Amino acid sequence: MTSAAEQTRSDIVAMLPRLRRFARALTGSLADADDIVQIAVERALMRIDQFQQGTRLDSWLFSITRNAWIDEARSRTRRGKVFAPAEAGEQVGYGGEAEVHAKLEADDVWSAMRELPTEQREAVALVCVEGLAYREAADALGVPIGTLTSRLARGREALQVMLGGAT
Amino acid sequence: MSVDDEKLMTFADGELTGAEHAEIEVALAEDAGLRERLEAHRAMRARLSSAFDGALSEPVPERLLAAAHKPREAEVVDLAARRAAKWSVREWGAMAASVALGLVIGVGTMQQQTRPMFATAAEGLVARGALSQALDTQLASDAAGAVRIGLSFRDQDGDYCRTFDLTQGATSGVACRENETWAIQLMADSSSGGEIRTVGSSPEVISSVEAMISGEPLDATSERAARDANWR
Repeated sequence: MTSAAEQTRSDIVAMLPRLRRFARALTGSLADADDIVQIAVERALMRIDQFQQGTRLDSWLFSITRNAWIDEARSRTRRGKVFAPAEAGEQVGYGGEAEVHAKLEADDVWSAMRELPTEQREAVALVCVEGLAYREAADALGVPIGTLTSRLARGREALQVMLGGAT
Repeated sequence: MSVDDEKLMTFADGELTGAEHAEIEVALAEDAGLRERLEAHRAMRARLSSAFDGALSEPVPERLLAAAHKPREAEVVDLAARRAAKWSVREWGAMAASVALGLVIGVGTMQQQTRPMFATAAEGLVARGALSQALDTQLASDAAGAVRIGLSFRDQDGDYCRTFDLTQGATSGVACRENETWAIQLMADSSSGGEIRTVGSSPEVISSVEAMISGEPLDATSERAARDANWR
């Protein structure tokens, strides 16, 4: 591997916490989120030479993570499995950890995010959770900026309705 | 003036500039209701971000660190990445241990009947003869001759790939368009599971499609269009 690729690899490691946060916002599940991050990291490393130094690594990784999620969701549907509901978090892990997982996943915001259609959820996750600018988020999702903006607006409106007031 | 919610959101996110930005500033100064809506946007954003922030302070699980540090040589999961590598029986053995040998024998038998369906080239194993022709021209809805075509899709490099099924030899596989030929990505024994085989019915083929596909499989119309455009 070239030294540029080695540098990218260590940048990917540094990005892991943010990838986990993004994946949690996407999946609404701790276990699923880490599965998807793992797939995304493996894919990113395989295509590491395709990453262009000087472009944004976070957008590139978010895009790979999001695609990993779409693929995983599709193949689970095909296999007749659905994503683990929040309560199934109790069977994952053990003891105190499982309890913490279940509590976190039952959080109002997590539940509300899980209700959003995929397209709105990924827009909200990139902009509101990860803090990407609209342009970057649109690029990561491969959609025009106007599309991103309207998905984001609809998603936030729905969240406002589900979560009630602003607090 | 009334400010629509999308514009207000754009303002709240710091995405408005110039005249539009100034316009909202003016409207905000005059309209307490608007200020409240703006506050709601900001509060929602803060709430969303803090709900998932736990991930930033938690230790990263070992398995993710291991995945990030795994040497590339060991990465054989993604079949698409294998396309650059030259095909060898030994490599296949590692990937699809139980099927490789039977397959090669099967191919040998088939080659006695007609023109060979496979050849090795710079791309690795490539389709020839009836297989190549079927991949070029045959649609999933066409009656099967020696080859039945299953799914057509684009891989993550944007190249077209198709699953196929040999009507004799109990073999199914995936081929992708590469340098004007069809490079075989995977073949697997599809004989298990009964006398009637559906295309791509072998688990190896299904999982390789899942690993390679980008977007949805082509529908009949796009399949025909892609064929008419010579899979470019």
